[in-house]
Amino acid sequence: MKKFILVLAVALSACTSVPVAPKFPEAPQVLKDKCESLKKIEGDKVAITEMLKVVIHNYTLYYECSTKVEGWQEWYDTQKKIYESIK
Amino acid sequence: MNQIYWMLELIPESVLIWLYYTALTSGVVMLAAGWLIKWFPGINAYKTLIQFVGLILTAGSLYLLGGYGTELMWRSRVADMQKKVDEAQALSAAANRMTAERVEVQTKVVREKGKDIIKYVDREVVKKEEIIKYIEQCPVPKEIIDLHNQAAELNKAAEGKK
Repeated sequence: MKKFILVLAVALSACTSVPVAPKFPEAPQVLKDKCESLKKIEGDKVAITEMLKVVIHNYTLYYECSTKVEGWQEWYDTQKKIYESIK
Repeated sequence: MNQIYWMLELIPESVLIWLYYTALTSGVVMLAAGWLIKWFPGINAYKTLIQFVGLILTAGSLYLLGGYGTELMWRSRVADMQKKVDEAQALSAAANRMTAERVEVQTKVVREKGKDIIKYVDREVVKKEEIIKYIEQCPVPKEIIDLHNQAAELNKAAEGKK
């Protein structure tokens, strides 16, 4: 009888596992584009206005890049929340 | 063991369940018969054989029934999980579109604004008398230009350290 109970216990413990893994989300292409290099001032004798234009151009590049970084932060926070909601 | 389950999947489920329960019933009946047979002297010699076959049938059918139940439970869990994953993927795609649109719009606004300021410098600032005088009398020293250009390439110094 003891053997019978043991056999039953082993028989009833049969199980299989089928994992379902969520796919890692792909980030938008606009975030993956690299930030442009800053512009340099060309020439030896340069007017202050030419220098100013290069500075303005570089500020523009900075804010473009900072928008991308904020985009990455937003992307990460959102995807993390979505991923945690399916656990 | 997986091959056995794969072969069993080829048999219709209703037939399988019927087979499992028939085997279980037969096994239990044979176990009971093996216990009762001691009162029948003529067939007493088959007691061990009947009990053994009954035990095999009972244990085997319980194993298969357990496996079937577990399989159904896992299928249900997998379906639930797959549904959640599909919903999450849809949400993720929607969030991606929103982020991409926001970044594209903001980048466009920044770029346009930068161009506008540069145009304003070309159109208005360079025409002002005091600016014209300043440009003529005070070109930017080369040292200042070099330092600006060095600062613009600070990232190259960091890349060199990698």
